[in-house]
Amino acid sequence: MTTARDRGYADPIRAGVGLGLVLFGVIMLAGRGLGASGAFAATAAAAVDAVAPATASGNAYVSQRVPAGVGGLFGEWLVIELIGVALGAWFSARLANRIRPGIEAAGTESRRSRVLAAVGGGMLMGAGARLARGCTSGLGLTGGALLSTGAWLFIPVAFGTAFLVAALRRRAGGLVSG
Amino acid sequence: MMAPWFPDLAAVAALPVGIGFGVALERAGLGSARTIADQLRGRDFTVIKVMFAAIITAMLGVFWATRLGWLDLSLVAMPETDLIPQAIGAVLFGAGFAIASLCPGTACVAAGAGHRDGLITIGGLFLGTLVVMLAWPDLGAAAENTPRTSATLPGDLGWPAGVVVGAIAIGGVLVLGLAGRFEGRVVSWAPSRLAVVALALGALAIATRDGAQPSGGSLTSIAADIAAERDHVDPLDLAEWIKAARSGLRVIDVRERGADSGYQIPGSESVPLEQVPGLSVAPGDTIVLYSDGGTHAAQAWVLLRTRGITGVYVLRDGLAAWEDEVRFPHPVIGADSAAMAAYRRAAELSRWFGGFPSRTPRAPNETRPGAVRSRRNSC
Repeated sequence: MTTARDRGYADPIRAGVGLGLVLFGVIMLAGRGLGASGAFAATAAAAVDAVAPATASGNAYVSQRVPAGVGGLFGEWLVIELIGVALGAWFSARLANRIRPGIEAAGTESRRSRVLAAVGGGMLMGAGARLARGCTSGLGLTGGALLSTGAWLFIPVAFGTAFLVAALRRRAGGLVSG
Repeated sequence: MMAPWFPDLAAVAALPVGIGFGVALERAGLGSARTIADQLRGRDFTVIKVMFAAIITAMLGVFWATRLGWLDLSLVAMPETDLIPQAIGAVLFGAGFAIASLCPGTACVAAGAGHRDGLITIGGLFLGTLVVMLAWPDLGAAAENTPRTSATLPGDLGWPAGVVVGAIAIGGVLVLGLAGRFEGRVVSWAPSRLAVVALALGALAIATRDGAQPSGGSLTSIAADIAAERDHVDPLDLAEWIKAARSGLRVIDVRERGADSGYQIPGSESVPLEQVPGLSVAPGDTIVLYSDGGTHAAQAWVLLRTRGITGVYVLRDGLAAWEDEVRFPHPVIGADSAAMAAYRRAAELSRWFGGFPSRTPRAPNETRPGAVRSRRNSC
């Protein structure tokens, strides 16, 4: 079997413990955990507010998420954190000489189907994360560590569905095979 | 000093924290859709290993920091629980995760590492988020089923937090060991040094049988707060909080809303008792509950605390005491200098709230005739 480790990546358990220490550190320092999907909500709310302010003010869910603090969207904690994630990833990949600009297809997926899967999968995740009140980072990791009941519902349901859908895709053979 | 140490400097911490997050995910190979696709095919257990190792590490850290008195967990933002919409969301999210082979965080890692599919996933995420946010008011029960809560497993299962932490730590280490064997990488059952540390901290957590963490909802901790009189605030202190515009302060009138409800404390919200269990509370809110006498407010206090909400107070002796001590204070017969100083403080606050401090001294236990006092038995 070829694992990520065979492709030059670190031992996942050590990387996981490192990630856990980052999460514990931010809870101690700032009283909050890691997140990702919340930054998309703040960005979407800011976009609605900029393009159609009447729609934003008429929708409480949107208006509550329009960044109101100093610095606007770039004063939002999660937005800055997510910019940090991309910077950290760039830095780490560069150090390991792993920057490969281009589309990375999983298995024998064609470039075209990879682009469609990225858009469609991204849309489903964006929608799902709003209903679930978080994603793998904010709800899964942070909520998991804080023993949130919703997080411990989300983790098995989301991963169970993911394994099931991946198996169905393999069986259908169309979008991804190999 | 008890953590969280720098809640006000959180924005400064965001960039370095994000960088640490990005480095850890990229090192593990999670910026590559191939790693996640291999996990979902059962070929490679990187995703599950990273996730469980991170949750166990942070969970043990949070439990022990709280247990040792270094962290006040009631000040940490807790994700919301609303089971039905979250289950629907988790199904949609899991399907999208399997299709994109990236999650929101790892899509940003992939983009940072130069993979264009990461950037495209970010575009999809933005669109999906936007659609649901615009449709939110029309989604009904699929979007919001029960009031927001910060429910935790120890509170919901009725188990001590230490037992839940220990069970997750020990079960998680077992899952990690099984994953290693499944990959064919681990041949021996001898646990690694990290696994021994996690098992030891988990077993010790069970031994503490600690119920005080993380939910503030445990009945013993609520009873302890009542016994230690940490459950109420004096009228003059509340008046100063309101005057100073204390941040996050919400004063809540739990009396029935009626035509004759009359006077309300300035700035207070009206939430009748039967709606208190569904009250939305943001992290950092300080809630002060009041009713005419104080019985209903005290009952509302217990309802909120059992939901795991901390930072809740009852106005001592309710609106009756507010009238006597803030709006219409009076000097006491035979007052010493300390009592006169207290009266002057009250009189100043009284004028600020539009009340009428009386100059006529009264006996210490005598109260202003009429007014709210006659309704005291109505709670």
